[in-house]
Amino acid sequence: MAEHGKGPLSGYRVVELTTAWAGPYAGQVLAHLGAESIRIESVNRLCVTRTIVPFAEGQRHYDRAGYFCEYNQGKRSVQLNLARPEAVELVKRLVAMSDAVIENFAAGVVERWGLGYEELKKVKPDIVMVSMSGHGRTGPLRNYVSYGPYLVALSGFATLTGYRGWEHPMHVGMSYPDPNGGWHGAFAVMAGLYYRKCTGRGQYVDLSQWEAAIALLGDAILGYLMNGHQPPRLGNRDPVMAPHGFFRCAPARDGELPEGLLPEDRWISIACGSDEEWQALCRVMGRPELARDPRFATREARKANEDELERIVEEWTLTQDPFEATRRLQEAGVAAYPALNNKEVAEDPHLNARRFFTEKEHPVVGVRKHTGIPWRMSATPCEVWRAAPVLGQDNDYVFRQLLGLSPDDIEELKRKEVIL
Amino acid sequence: MAKALEGLRVLECGRMAAAAYAAKLLADLGATVIKVEEPQGDIARRYGPFPGGEPHPEKSALFLYLNCNKKGITLDLRQPEGQALLQRLVAWADVLVHNYPPPEMAARGLDYEALARANPRLVMASISPFGHEGPHRDYRGYDINVMAAGGWAWLNGWPGHPEEPPLKAYGPQTEYQAGIAAAVALLGALLHREETGQGQHIEVSGQEVVATELEFVFPFWPYERRVPVRWGQRIIAPWDYFRCQDGWAFVICVEEHQWERLVELMGDPEWAHWEIFSDRTRRAQNYDVLRPLLEEWFAQWRVDDLYKAAQAKRIPLAPAYDAAGLLESQHLREREFFVSLDHPVAGTYRYPGSPYHGFSETPAEVREPAPTLGQHNQEVYGGILGLSQEEIAALRQRAVI
Repeated sequence: MAEHGKGPLSGYRVVELTTAWAGPYAGQVLAHLGAESIRIESVNRLCVTRTIVPFAEGQRHYDRAGYFCEYNQGKRSVQLNLARPEAVELVKRLVAMSDAVIENFAAGVVERWGLGYEELKKVKPDIVMVSMSGHGRTGPLRNYVSYGPYLVALSGFATLTGYRGWEHPMHVGMSYPDPNGGWHGAFAVMAGLYYRKCTGRGQYVDLSQWEAAIALLGDAILGYLMNGHQPPRLGNRDPVMAPHGFFRCAPARDGELPEGLLPEDRWISIACGSDEEWQALCRVMGRPELARDPRFATREARKANEDELERIVEEWTLTQDPFEATRRLQEAGVAAYPALNNKEVAEDPHLNARRFFTEKEHPVVGVRKHTGIPWRMSATPCEVWRAAPVLGQDNDYVFRQLLGLSPDDIEELKRKEVIL
Repeated sequence: MAKALEGLRVLECGRMAAAAYAAKLLADLGATVIKVEEPQGDIARRYGPFPGGEPHPEKSALFLYLNCNKKGITLDLRQPEGQALLQRLVAWADVLVHNYPPPEMAARGLDYEALARANPRLVMASISPFGHEGPHRDYRGYDINVMAAGGWAWLNGWPGHPEEPPLKAYGPQTEYQAGIAAAVALLGALLHREETGQGQHIEVSGQEVVATELEFVFPFWPYERRVPVRWGQRIIAPWDYFRCQDGWAFVICVEEHQWERLVELMGDPEWAHWEIFSDRTRRAQNYDVLRPLLEEWFAQWRVDDLYKAAQAKRIPLAPAYDAAGLLESQHLREREFFVSLDHPVAGTYRYPGSPYHGFSETPAEVREPAPTLGQHNQEVYGGILGLSQEEIAALRQRAVI
């Protein structure tokens, strides 16, 4: 019996024809739920996440890539060169013994390989298949090339997000439509599996990652229709709360920072949703008289005098360490947290106390810290059972144990570059 | 045609976006969702945009969007009578999803053990900023704080501008993400329940959800001991916005062949062959030289012409759309993405529909507008719970509903 993940999808098998971030993110969510997620890979079509930084100790190699290892935990990797018909037949045999297929290639790609839904349902009539292309499988733009950052521009995020007064469109800091598309793809798989459980019927889902990104901006669309313009860029301000923003803190001391950081680049987020929270902030700042100041006494007044309000708050934060200030503010009942960088996330005492991170042995890079499963389930606890695979780590398992090929068959397929 | 989640009964409690988005995802696939608002109404009703900028609890764009396809009731969970009614609703439900943080749960009767006594098959999801265990479990966190705590805000800014603060993305995005994570986990728990009859409790931490979304940034620390900064250079180039004649366009060249085709589209200028631009990493290292050359070329184009010309060569280039651009998109129109809904107070608008409306067996659908405050009190308390008119009137009088 093979080892596999734990969780409510334990015993389910998913075939991943995925690339880049969105598809692999969806596959990892399903693996986190306990599914055996098998990723089809090949050296002649390496995932971009195996080819860009960071690499362990900076040594460039597809099995040392941190990006790949972050988003393929708990999955299996099998090498198949889909340019060869024999490889396509093997994928079909694997699909015939699986529950779901996810793919995030441009529209038409899996069909060209002969792995479209119409073909796959012939070998597995109740398969749940989710295509998660950039623009969906229908419509005039269906063949356009898409990446997460491209969808930041196309969805409206780039014009809605931004510092006040800047005209320049903004990236949102990461390729947000990718993990968002991944979540929506995983949700579609789960809904399909639930429906299958209830009715015995499989189905095909056409997910548009572009539309999944617009689904996060419904208020802005309605706002445009109501008023003829979309909401203005607020920077870090909130339509209702004040103060609400990032405030600069005291500079870091010498030797406190990793290379490349600026000592004065330290920030705390503070938000007051009620008068009580504002009064608590005044006490912590040592300015109790401000709580009675009519310029700031009510939410409406604080919004009306927000420039001055922010100046006063920052005057205080500039003297504060962001972590210590967070502790004092939270004790007093004020929502605050430092703007953590990746190192600080990795070292966050709360996340570590929750055992959020995974540290599994990887055959090439050893034990590395990765982000873990962002939920806890009381009856079906989930756990990452192993690190991300090296390329083709599960060739043997898939070809011999699952598909029943002989060592001679496997050698022959390698020689013919079907297994590549 | 049947809906994928038809027959599933969902209770939603809380405020703003996290539980509301989780329940919306289920509702759009056919689940029956009862949204429980405190008598003063969901705080999302204070958030606009509003028509003419005039705040009105029934005209909030955020609330209208998040609560399509739901039934709305009012219930004061802080009164014992309110909690007793919640227990009765839980006995009716398959799923309870809420986003009251841990310190506010007990006062509202949101205790899994107690609710499971009313319904042992209950699947309950609790969404909160920091989860239910750990030293910061009782910390307060609005969207901006969760974005900071998960490591996202640190990354959002602009190359070359270290003086600007970390920047929040538009809208309560960490709540949307925690919401969809909860919806995914809920369906996992429902699959388990179909097999075993066993319900369970799920907790989702917004901070953790955000931390799983940092792209290649998180592993920079464990793999190379490096800390990426929001004001630093992109790792590959081009990856940027450029001004055109009538708006802005974005281009990213991930693969070398995409750059080669961009060079082709630019008419193969001599500078494109300079050694300093010979691969994606070098172009990033020498971006201060590259950017002005690209700026000059982009400035000659109209955005839509450039979009078509670039995509004809399979270059990942996009317009930076605003809402108007989306509403006018021929592609989205042909996919019937936007759906027109008539709300009794707010009026008729086009709403973003479901992003997976291609469900071949069980189409998703946005079909009903958001409920007005307490719109379905009669239907739910009278119909589902079978209370008499007198009982409902008495509850109303005591401000329980």
